[in-house]
Amino acid sequence: MHEKERDLVSAFMRGEMDRRELIRGLGALGVTAGTAGTLLNMAATKAMAADFDWMKHSGKSIKILLNKHPYTDALLANLDNFKSMTGMEVAYDIFPEDVYFDKVTAALSSRSSEYDAFMVGAYMTWTYGPAGWIVDHNEWIMDSDKTNPAYNWTDMIEGVRKSCAWNGRPGGALGSDDAMQWCVPWGYEQNNLSYNAAMLENSGIGIPNNLDELMEAAAKVQADNEGIYGIGVRGSRSWATIHPGFLSAYSNLGEVDLNVSADGKLSAAMNTDASKEFHAKWVKMIQDSGAADWSSHTWYQVGTDLGAGKSAIIYDADILGYFMNGGENAMAGQLAYAPFAASGNGAPTPNIWIWSLSMSKFSRDLDATWYFMQWATGTEHALFGARNMDFVNPVRQSVWDDPMFRDRIAQSYPGYVEMHDVSAPGAAIKFTAQPLFFDLTTEWAASLQKMVANEVPVDEGLDQLAESVNRQLNEAGLG
Amino acid sequence: MTGRSHRFGLSPRFEKISEVQHKGIRAGRISREVLPYLLSLPALLVCIGILIPFGTAIWYSLQRYRLSQPWNRGMNWGENYLNFLSEPDFWNTLQVSLVYAGLTVVLELLLGLGIALLLRRRTRLNNFISVILLMPLMTAPVLAALMFKLMTNPNFGILSYFMQLAGFEDFRWGSDPSTALFTVILVDIWVYTPFMMILLLAGLRSLPPQPFEAAALDGVPRWQQFWRITLPMLMPYVLTASLFRLLDSIQQFDIIYALTQGGPGDTLMVFQVEAYLNFFQSTNIGRSAALLIILWAITFVLSNMFVKNWLRLRERARGEI
Amino acid sequence: MQHQSVLENWLRGIALALIVLFFMFPIFWILLMSLQTNETILRSPPSMVFSPTLSNYQAIFAGRLDSNAASLDIRFLGNLWNSIILSVGSVGVALLFGVPAAYAFARYKFRGSEDIAFTLLSFRFAPPLLVLLPLTSYFQTLGIADTYFGLIWVYQLICLPLILWIVRGYFEDIPADVEHAYRIAGHGWFATFRNIALPLARPGIAAAGLLAFIFAWNNFIFALVLASADKQPVTVGALAFVTASGIQYGQIAAAVVLSIAPTLALALYAQRYLVEGLSLGAVKG
Repeated sequence: MHEKERDLVSAFMRGEMDRRELIRGLGALGVTAGTAGTLLNMAATKAMAADFDWMKHSGKSIKILLNKHPYTDALLANLDNFKSMTGMEVAYDIFPEDVYFDKVTAALSSRSSEYDAFMVGAYMTWTYGPAGWIVDHNEWIMDSDKTNPAYNWTDMIEGVRKSCAWNGRPGGALGSDDAMQWCVPWGYEQNNLSYNAAMLENSGIGIPNNLDELMEAAAKVQADNEGIYGIGVRGSRSWATIHPGFLSAYSNLGEVDLNVSADGKLSAAMNTDASKEFHAKWVKMIQDSGAADWSSHTWYQVGTDLGAGKSAIIYDADILGYFMNGGENAMAGQLAYAPFAASGNGAPTPNIWIWSLSMSKFSRDLDATWYFMQWATGTEHALFGARNMDFVNPVRQSVWDDPMFRDRIAQSYPGYVEMHDVSAPGAAIKFTAQPLFFDLTTEWAASLQKMVANEVPVDEGLDQLAESVNRQLNEAGLG
Repeated sequence: MTGRSHRFGLSPRFEKISEVQHKGIRAGRISREVLPYLLSLPALLVCIGILIPFGTAIWYSLQRYRLSQPWNRGMNWGENYLNFLSEPDFWNTLQVSLVYAGLTVVLELLLGLGIALLLRRRTRLNNFISVILLMPLMTAPVLAALMFKLMTNPNFGILSYFMQLAGFEDFRWGSDPSTALFTVILVDIWVYTPFMMILLLAGLRSLPPQPFEAAALDGVPRWQQFWRITLPMLMPYVLTASLFRLLDSIQQFDIIYALTQGGPGDTLMVFQVEAYLNFFQSTNIGRSAALLIILWAITFVLSNMFVKNWLRLRERARGEI
Repeated sequence: MQHQSVLENWLRGIALALIVLFFMFPIFWILLMSLQTNETILRSPPSMVFSPTLSNYQAIFAGRLDSNAASLDIRFLGNLWNSIILSVGSVGVALLFGVPAAYAFARYKFRGSEDIAFTLLSFRFAPPLLVLLPLTSYFQTLGIADTYFGLIWVYQLICLPLILWIVRGYFEDIPADVEHAYRIAGHGWFATFRNIALPLARPGIAAAGLLAFIFAWNNFIFALVLASADKQPVTVGALAFVTASGIQYGQIAAAVVLSIAPTLALALYAQRYLVEGLSLGAVKG
C-alpha cells in the first residue's frame, strides 16, 4: 500500500474523516471503490488484531472446501487480509453446487483429513453431526482463549444461529439448551416473493397477501403478459424443492412435516386435511401458472427465468431476486420484493437456508482452523462482503444495522431491506431435525412431481407418501 | 493372418520342441510353467484391488448401515434384501430398469439391423456412411445427454420447436413423466444404435454368398430370402450384440443422471441412479449396496450368456476364414 | 447382385438420408449453437442465419466466464487436460499389462487360464458403482484419493478387459508355426514375442487401444465418484459447467464441442481399426 493511501485509511480509522471522504480521497488516488473496501478492511483487520494474538498459529496451513457461490467470491477477495493478519496459509478447493455435497460426503465418510473446514448447510449437519464428522463449535465459541473478544457471537441473528444448533435427538428442537452448534452461520436466505414490477403493473394487480391471492396473481399475470409464466418455484426431484417457498408456505399455514410424540417417536404429518388442501392449491398453481419444465427446475432455473423476463414472480430465496436484479440480467433493476405470509395473517415465517462453515472432526489442527472460522464468520469480513461484494444476506444484526450496507442495498435493491426486516424475526428452519431428512424430503419432492403430472391425485399421493415415510422411520428405528 | 490356427495352447509339435528347448538350450531361463502366470500376473494384480471393494460391498449389503445413524450400525444379514420385497420403490426400480433395457435393445436392434441391411453392399458411399454413423457412438453418453438437454429446452430448443411445428404444443420431453422415458431412450438410441449397426454389418458382410446365389437361382423372393436365409445365419450376431447392449443398458447411469437424475417422480429411477442417490444423498449405505448386488446378480447371468455366445461366434468366424 | 428397381433405389436413398440426418443433426446443431451468441440462440423460431462468432470458445480458452450471478474462473481447459492424462495413462497401463497377459492366454493353456480370463472380462460387466462406492474409503486409506494414479488404476476396469480380450483373439490367429520357426532359429521367448507376435497382432492392438482410449475418455461415473475438482475430466466438468455458466448456452455448446471433438477426430482418422475393435474381434469381415 502506498504512503498516501495508508495515511488516508489511518485517518479514517482514527475517526478524522468519514467513509465518503475516504472513498473520495482514495478515488482521487486512482483506487476503485472495491479496492478501497479491501484496503479499509485491511486497516480494520489490523485494529482487530490489537486485542488478540492472531499470530499464534503463524506458519500453519489449512485447507477448506468451498461451493461455487458469491459468498466464496467474497471470501477469496478478502482472504489475503486473513493470511497477513495470522501468518497462516489457506488452500482451498471449489466445486460447483451440482456435485458439491457429494464431494463433502465422500471426503467426510472416508474420514479424510484433507479438508479442515468446509461450507455446509444446516440440513447437512443433521447427517454429518450424528455421524461424528463435525465438531460442536460451542467448545471454541465459548472459549475466550481461542476466540477473539470482538467476535460477538450473539450478534448473529437468533433464528439463524439457533437453526444451526441441534441436540442430535431425532425430533429435538433446534437451538435447545443442550444443543450442539454443528455449524457457524455465514450467509442465509429467506424465502419470500421477488417479482417483475412492470409485469404486475401491466396486469393491474397488487402484491399478493396470501396463498389464494398468489395463485390468482400468478394466473392473471401469465394471461396478461405475452410469452411468460406466472410463478417460478423449484421442482427438481430433490430435497431442495421442498425447503424454499413450499415449506415456508406450508409451515406458515400451521402445518408440520413430522409429529414428535412425547416419547420421541416420529411419524408423518403431511397427510392431514389442511395439508392436503395446501398441496392441492400448490399443485394447481404450478399446473396453471408454473414453468413448462418445472420438474427440472433447480434454484438456478427459477432465478434465471426471472432475470431473463420469462417469469413474473418467484417464491424462493430472496437472494435469488437480489442477484437477478443486478449484473447482465435482462430485468436488472426492474425487480421488486415483498415479504409473504401464505396464511395472510401476521408476519411471514419463512423457512431458511443457511450457508454455514463447519470444522471437520478429522482436521489435524482444529484450533488453527478455528482462527480461520472466527475470522470468516466475524463482523469484519461480514461487513466487507456486505458492503463491497454480494455477501448477502448477512447473518449478523450489526451488518443489517450498518448504514453503509443499508444505503447500498436501498439504492440498488429498493424494498429489499424492508422485506428482510419484516420477515427476519420469524425466519428459522421449519423442518423437524432428524437423520432421514434427505430421504424424506426427496421422496416428498418426487410425490409432488407425480401430483403435478396428474399421475396420482393429491389425497392419495399424500397418503402414500405418509405411509412410506412411516415405514422408513420405523425401519430406521425412529418411528 | 489367414490359415487355421490352434485356438488354445500350442501346437503339439511346438510344445514338444519347446520342451526340448527348455531342457536343453533354454535351461536356466524362465520356466515354461511359470511364464504364463508371470505374464498375466500384473493384469491380475491390478484387478485384485478391485475384488476387495466388491467383497466390501457384499458385506455392507448385509448391514443396517446409515452414515447418519452410526450407533445403529450392525449386521442385519438379509434384511435389506427382504425389505425390498415389500417396497414399492424397489419394484419400481426393477421395472424401470428392465423396461428401459428391453426397449432400448429392441429398438436399437431393429434400427441397427435396418441400417446394416441398407449398407450391406460394399460401395464407397455405403462405407462412408457407416463411418460417419459411428460419430454418435464416439460421443460420451453424458455429453450426448447434455446435447439433447440443450435441444429440448422449452425456450429455444430446436427439438421443442419441431414438436411445436408437428402440432405438439406442449411437449415437455424430460420434464414430464409421460415423455421422460421416451426422451432418455431417444438419447440412448442415438448413441448406441451405431454399435448394433457396425456389428451386424460386419456379420452380414461375412456371410457366405453361396446360399444367396442358390436362392436367387431358385427364384426365392427377396423378402423370403431375408427370413429364411439372412436372419437365421445372422442370428448369432444378433444375439451377441443384443446381449452386449442389454448388459450395458440395464446399468444405464450417465444419460439418466445427466438428464433428470431419475425424475420426474420415480419415472427413471434405475438401479445405479437409485444406488448413487441412496449412497450420497440419503447416506443409506446398506440399501445402496444391496441394490447394487441385485443388479450385479442380473448382469452376472447375462454376461455368462454373452461370453458363451461370443466365444461360439468367434470360433465360427475363424472356421469360415 | 440382384437387380434393383428405380423405386427401390429411391426408397433406399431416402431412408439413408433420413438416417444420416437423425444421427448427424445433433452434432451439427450443437456446433452451430457454439458459434452463436445467447441472443441469436434464444431467437424464436430458431434460425440458421446468424453471423458466427468465436466468442464462446474465447471465453473458454480465456478461462473466465461472465454469467448473470457472478463472473468466475472456469477450469474447462484443465478438464480437457485431465481427460488427456487419464485416457492416455489408462490405455498405456492397460497395454503394458494387458498385451502380455493376452499373449499368455492365447499361447499357453495353463491351469485356470480360462477362469482367470473370464474373471478379467467379467469386470467389464460388473456394475461400476458396486466397486466405486466402497473404493471411496479405501482410496483415502491408501492415500491415493485425488491422484491420477488412483483414477488410472480404476480406469483399468474398462480398459484392461477390452485390451485383453480383443488382443488375445489376434494372438490366437497368429499361426503358432511362425513363432515356432523363429524360436528354432535360436531366438528367445522375448525376442519371439517382440519380433513376431507383436508386429503381427498390431492391428488388433491398435484397435483395442483406440477403443479403450475412447471408452476411457467417455467415462463419466468413475470420475464423478472419485475425482476431485482439479482431476475432473471433461465429462464431469461439462455437467458442472451447466450450472456454473447458467444462461450462457452458447458456451455450454462450445464446451460440449470441445469435449467430443477429440474422440470424433480420432474415430474418423482411424476408422478401420475402430470397426475392427467394435466388432469385438468376433467377426473378421
